[in-house]
Amino acid sequence: MDNLGELLHGFSIAVTVPHLVLMVVGVLLGILVGVLPGLGAPNGVSLLLPLTFGMQPVSAIILLSSMYWGALFGGSVTSILFNIPGEPSSVATTFDGYPMARDGRPTTALATAFGSAAFGALVGVILITFLASWVAQVALAFGPAEYFAVYFLAFASFVGMGGAAPIKTVVALAIGFAIAAIGIDTVSGSVRLTMGVDELVKGVSFVVAVMGLFGIGELLVAVEEEFHARAVSSKIDWAEVFRAVGRLPRHGVALLRSAAIGCWMGITPGGPTAASFMSYGIARRFSRRGRYFGTGEVEGIISPETADHAAGTSALLPMLSLGIPGSATAAVMMGGLMIWGLNPGPMLFVDQKDFVWGLIASMYVGNIVAVALVLLTVPVFAALMRIPFVVIAPLIVIICVVGAYSVSNSYLDVVMMLGFGVIGYLFKKLFYPLAPLVLAIVIGDKAEDAFRQSMLMSKGSLGIFFANKLVTCLIVAGIALLLLPLVLQLARLWRKPAVPAADTTAQEKVII
Amino acid sequence: MISRRALELATAVLTGGFGVAVVVQSLDNGIGWSSAGVDAGTFPFLTGIIIVLGSLYNLARGVLPVATLANVPIAITPIELRRLAGLFVPAAIFVAAIPLAGMYVASALYVFAVLAIPRHQSLPRALAMAGATALALYVVFERMFQVSLPHGALAAALGF
Repeated sequence: MDNLGELLHGFSIAVTVPHLVLMVVGVLLGILVGVLPGLGAPNGVSLLLPLTFGMQPVSAIILLSSMYWGALFGGSVTSILFNIPGEPSSVATTFDGYPMARDGRPTTALATAFGSAAFGALVGVILITFLASWVAQVALAFGPAEYFAVYFLAFASFVGMGGAAPIKTVVALAIGFAIAAIGIDTVSGSVRLTMGVDELVKGVSFVVAVMGLFGIGELLVAVEEEFHARAVSSKIDWAEVFRAVGRLPRHGVALLRSAAIGCWMGITPGGPTAASFMSYGIARRFSRRGRYFGTGEVEGIISPETADHAAGTSALLPMLSLGIPGSATAAVMMGGLMIWGLNPGPMLFVDQKDFVWGLIASMYVGNIVAVALVLLTVPVFAALMRIPFVVIAPLIVIICVVGAYSVSNSYLDVVMMLGFGVIGYLFKKLFYPLAPLVLAIVIGDKAEDAFRQSMLMSKGSLGIFFANKLVTCLIVAGIALLLLPLVLQLARLWRKPAVPAADTTAQEKVII
Repeated sequence: MISRRALELATAVLTGGFGVAVVVQSLDNGIGWSSAGVDAGTFPFLTGIIIVLGSLYNLARGVLPVATLANVPIAITPIELRRLAGLFVPAAIFVAAIPLAGMYVASALYVFAVLAIPRHQSLPRALAMAGATALALYVVFERMFQVSLPHGALAAALGF
C-alpha cells in the first residue's frame, strides 16, 4: 500500500496549474505530430527535448510524456478518417477503423478507438503503479553482470520477438552499438571510431539519428505514394460518443486480452507497433466474427488500439525501473533523463521520488486530458490533413534540420541527420527495424560499461555471467530468445520441406 | 526503376562497409585484455564483426532468388524515384546552402523554391509562406528559446 501513498503524493505534484497547462500543450503538440505524416512520437519528443533543458525534470517529463500520449491518439485519428496511419503503430487501426468510418460511422469508430485506447493506457499505468517500484527494488541489488544480462535480454528479445528478419535486426542493433561507441570512451578516455573527423569526438547524439531515421526517412517513404487525403466527415456526434463507449464492456474479453498483449510487448521491447499487429492478428483468429474483420468490425478497432496504448504506456516501466526503454520513444525520453542529470534505473525510486511518482500520476491525468482534447479537436486536425503534402513536406524538413542543429549547434549534425534520413528510408523500405537501432544508440554505452565492469570484477572470465541463479537465468533466457527464430525456421522446414515460406511477407509488414 | 534485389544489395554493402570501417578503426584502440581491463576497442570490434557477418548474410539473401523477394521484384518505380528526388534533392541543396546563406535565408529560399518552381502555389502565396517560415524560426528560436541558428557566411560578410 506504500505505492498508493506515493501515488497520492504524485498527484499533488502532477495536478497543479502549470503542470496541467504543460499536459495540454504536450498533448496538442503530440496530436499534431501524430496527425502529420513524417513526424512521429520519437522525433516529436526529440524536437521538444532541447526546449526542456531549462525546466524542472518532472515538468519536462510531464511535457514529453503528454506529447507521447497525444501522438498515440493523433495517429489513430488519421488512420480512421483518412486511411493514412499517422504513426506506424496505428497501421493496424486502418484495417477496420477506416471501413467503419467510410460506412458513415466515423464517430463510432473514433469513440471506440479512443475508449479502448484509454483502457489500454489505464491498464499500462496501473501495471506501472504496482510493478515499477517492486522491479526497481529487485534491481537495486543488481551488479554490473546482472545489468549486462538484462541489457542482453532486452536486445535478444528484439531479435526473437520483434517480428523483423532476425539478421536484419542484429545488424540494426550492432550499427546502433557502433554509433554509440563513437567519440570519447567513458572508461579509458580514449577517442574511438571518429573516422578521422575531429568533430566526431563529441559523439553522435541520438536526437540527430532520430530526426533523420524517423523524420526524413518517413517523409521519403510517404512522398513515394501519391497522397490522397479523402476524408470522411469528421463531425463528432456527442451522443454517439457515449453510446459507443458504453458498448465497450461487451467486448471485455478482447479488451483484456489486447491489454495483456500490449503490456507484455511494451515491457519486453517489442514496441507498440508489433503489439498492435499481434493483437489484431490474434483477435481475428479468436473472434467469432473473425471473418468479418477488415469490413469495419468493432473488435478490429478495439484490439490494435488497446494493445498500442498499453504497450506505449508500459514501455516506460523498464525505462524507469531498469534504465532500459521499451520503445523508440521511451529511448528518446530516457536520453532526456540523462541530459537532465538523472540516472534512469532503480535509484530513481530512491533519490527522485517526486520525479517518478509525479510522472506516474501524470500518466493517469495526461491520458484523460488526451482523450478529452483529441475528441474536441478532431475537426481541427482533420482540416489540417487537407493542406497539400507538398506544403507540409518542406516544413518538416526544416523542422528536422533545425532540430538536429540545435542539439549542439553543429552543422555536421545536420549533414549526418540527412545521411540518417537516407538510411532510414532504405531500412524502412527493406524492413530493417529502426527501434533497436535507436535503442542501441541510447543505451549502447551503458551496456558496454556493464560488460567491461563485470569483466574487471571477474578478471576477464565470462564465468561471471553464470555465477548466480539470477544472472544465469537472464543470460539463458536471452540466448533462448536469440535462437528462437532459428528454431522456428527449422521447425517450419521440418514440417513442410521445400515449401517457400509464404507468410514472410505478411510478417514483414509487422515491422516498424 | 530499382529492383528490390539491387536495393537489398546496396544496403547490405553500405552496412557491411560501415562494419569494416568500425573493425579497422577499433583496432587502433586495441582489442582484447590489458592491465586496465577490457580494451577500449574490443566492444566496437565485436560489433563491427557482427555487422560485417550480418551484412554478408543479408547480401547472400538479397542475391539468392527467394520466393519472398520474387513477390515484390520492383522496390522503386520510375515515378516513385522522381517523387523521391523531388523531395530529397531540394532538401540536400537546402542543407548545403546553410553555411553560406544561413538558416533563415536558406529556409525561406527553400520553401519558396519548392512551392513556386513546380507551380504548386501562386508566386505571392509562395513568397508569403517563405517569409512566414523564416520569421517563425526567428521568433521561436532566436527570441523565445534563445537558441542561435547559423546566420551564414553571407550575413557575416554583410556585418550582421
